[in-house]
Amino acid sequence: MKLDQKRKASVRTVRSLSLADPVLVLVLVLVMDESHDEDLFPTVGVSLCDSAPLLWRVQDLKTVRSRGLVGALLGSLPRTPRQNGRLGRPLLLLPEEERLLSEHHAAAAALPAADQVRGAELCRWVEKFEEEQRRSYEEQSILALQDRKSALFRAMTSTGETVLHGRLRALDQSFTFPQLALAIQVSTARAGLTYCPEARAFLQADWPFREQDEACRDIRYQVFRDLRGRGFYLTSAGKFGGDFLVYPGDPLRFHAHFIAVCLSLNESVCLLDILAVARLGSSVKKTVLLCSPGTDGAVAYTSLQWSGMV
Amino acid sequence: MADQNKTDTEGQFYNEILSPSELFAARSRSHKIPVRGQKDFFPNDSDEQRQRLEQTLNEHWSLISEERVERLANLVKATWVPSDQIVELQSPAGKFWQTMGFSANGKQYLLPEEALYLMECGNLLVFYKGLPLSIQDGYERFLSSNTISLQQYQVFGHLKRLGYVVHRFDSSLEPSSYMRQLNLPQSRDKTVRQLKRKRSASPTSTSTSTSTSTSTPLSSHTETQKESTTERMEEDKCSREYEEDKKSESHFTASSETPEFQTAATSSADEAAGRHWWMSDALTDPGHTSDHSPTSGSSRWDFRSIIFPDLGSREHHPGRLASPDPSLLPGALTVGVCDVATWSQRINLRKVKMSSKEERREEDKHRRRWDVNKDKEVRQCRNWTEYQELMSRRQGKQKGRPEHLWNREVTPLHDPRQPISTGELLDKISVIKSTNLLEGASSIKGSDEWRICFNVYQPDTVADFKKSNPGKPYSRMCVCSFHSPVPDLRALKLLAFQSGDIPVVFAVVDHGDISFYTFKDFQLPTDVYP
Repeated sequence: MKLDQKRKASVRTVRSLSLADPVLVLVLVLVMDESHDEDLFPTVGVSLCDSAPLLWRVQDLKTVRSRGLVGALLGSLPRTPRQNGRLGRPLLLLPEEERLLSEHHAAAAALPAADQVRGAELCRWVEKFEEEQRRSYEEQSILALQDRKSALFRAMTSTGETVLHGRLRALDQSFTFPQLALAIQVSTARAGLTYCPEARAFLQADWPFREQDEACRDIRYQVFRDLRGRGFYLTSAGKFGGDFLVYPGDPLRFHAHFIAVCLSLNESVCLLDILAVARLGSSVKKTVLLCSPGTDGAVAYTSLQWSGMV
Repeated sequence: MADQNKTDTEGQFYNEILSPSELFAARSRSHKIPVRGQKDFFPNDSDEQRQRLEQTLNEHWSLISEERVERLANLVKATWVPSDQIVELQSPAGKFWQTMGFSANGKQYLLPEEALYLMECGNLLVFYKGLPLSIQDGYERFLSSNTISLQQYQVFGHLKRLGYVVHRFDSSLEPSSYMRQLNLPQSRDKTVRQLKRKRSASPTSTSTSTSTSTSTPLSSHTETQKESTTERMEEDKCSREYEEDKKSESHFTASSETPEFQTAATSSADEAAGRHWWMSDALTDPGHTSDHSPTSGSSRWDFRSIIFPDLGSREHHPGRLASPDPSLLPGALTVGVCDVATWSQRINLRKVKMSSKEERREEDKHRRRWDVNKDKEVRQCRNWTEYQELMSRRQGKQKGRPEHLWNREVTPLHDPRQPISTGELLDKISVIKSTNLLEGASSIKGSDEWRICFNVYQPDTVADFKKSNPGKPYSRMCVCSFHSPVPDLRALKLLAFQSGDIPVVFAVVDHGDISFYTFKDFQLPTDVYP
């Protein structure tokens, strides 16, 4: 996602802080017009787990990433499950990300588990599943035989021995692929599985706009939408004591520059809180942004910096 | 661009199911995770950056899109039992059985979080209605308000992936504070019962409970010698009742034991023997002969309601003493009205007359509450003369003490004549005493807002870990989110009390991140050499 370079810097508000000693210099930035590139992306299927919005299909993950939404991976990585450094699907969306998607009509309720299926229908599915297992076994045993043969052929061409011909014949006659060696998929997403084959139709429905209670949620959302509109990538910043971490590009390649703290414009802030968050920001080499949505839909950003003046 | 994108997704929609050839090919795939290179500071639209981003994203997606493919031999089969919210194993369990799962009724079960974790690790395939469940199904079916929440599972998975052994915490299985005080060993039967109890109804539970009840009181009797009360326990009482009984009794003795009783109990042996029939056996059943020390039965008696006759007082002196309450007497004994007139004549009832000097000294002594017997020098005196010599010597020394400070009701906190270490002095004059987390915690009522979720055992114990006897956890986890408040002192005390001497760690889940913090008692250092 390209960053909009034509940023009009205009001073909106200045938070007045009367401070004696460590002087906070207020740097004030940017308000600008939003631009959206909608309808370029397919709808994603969101499913709820314990009321948390999760994405499961790789295609959906790619779609939200190309919209600049990062989310957070929760599951064990299939390749090496017993580590916490890199995690895998599902992807948990921030409440703000979920709301942005539903505002753009980009999300839909993913297919619910088909629990009501029973009787003959269920029997048919079970049969189908077992049939597929059988087919898979047959194909895999053919593949295994080919695998062995080609290994023998390679050995023959390199050594040129005739003894191997006999072995090859024996293999042809008596090879059995052990049932237990059958490779089985423990699939990650439900879609496409036997449970719901006609998946696509469901995705036409819109993702319901879920109630997001308090006023602070709304402030967070407006800030999120504004920053995303400017091309920034955002993740949650609990570990940095703020609302969002703001990245100039994809978090895979870039460090976060800002810690966004969302406040309402007329909220009085305790100086100690400001000092604490500013101190934390400077110690992790990030700029703290105080973000307040105004009445006209624009968001005012105030940054805090320790000054060198004594 | 957009159109191409759409047709792509149309085609790839079902692609997450692998074909047999893909499954076969997956046997020989790499298990390495690509290393992430140095991040850039700012995007500068250069081709080099774009290329690197593309490469990283490609690696990322190939990693994320990878499906779990396992050989049938490595997969344990199980079925989901929604009515019990539990997973039942269908084929022999793997190595994970050492730290996870439990058996009941001859079957092997896994808790939903354990099953889900094993599914994610590619060790378990769970079937429901004859069809295999995907990981997504697992998340949506296993995690609910009846089992554990998604956040709790996040913490569970995080700790499991780090190698910890994680079990659910059950407060009813923790030894009571009283048991902890007595250092009672936790009986093994209880852990068995815990596992049973997790199943809704198990027919074998009755037999185990009887076996516990017979074994527990007896064993604890041998462990703790003071437990003479155990004898009164009926044999068929279950051990839990027993604990509660003990607890209430201990409370009783602590609160209602009056000072008079204490002196009575500690008075000389023959005196105690003389009062024997008063004190101990009255409430035990007739026929149950007891030769225990007076303290054994005492706890059942409320000494505030039992009046001891005071023959010395002039005021209410009837001349005749009514017979004592027959319930306090042993069965065979009858005691009639007692005429005390002749006795009281023999008692010297004259008031002691003190000179004014004596009175002052008495008052002074009373005010200072200084026990002469504690004074080492006084104790070294062999006779009255030596003592008086000592006192006069001291009188001389004390000249410097400003007498007027000590004449009033309010006196200095410390008498400078008494030698005391600086540390003790600081302690004596401190206005606010320091407290610790457990102080007063036992009286706090439980709350639903804060509760401990998991017992966590360290990874290095896994080799000889026993589910039936897990031992002391390394720590206990309390799961909360960034949006919930920080626990207040009340909650902290409550959790610390529930956990005993094992630290309670708070796992805070913020979206995908999990942070841990804990509260510890801190002793402010006193800058004094002892």
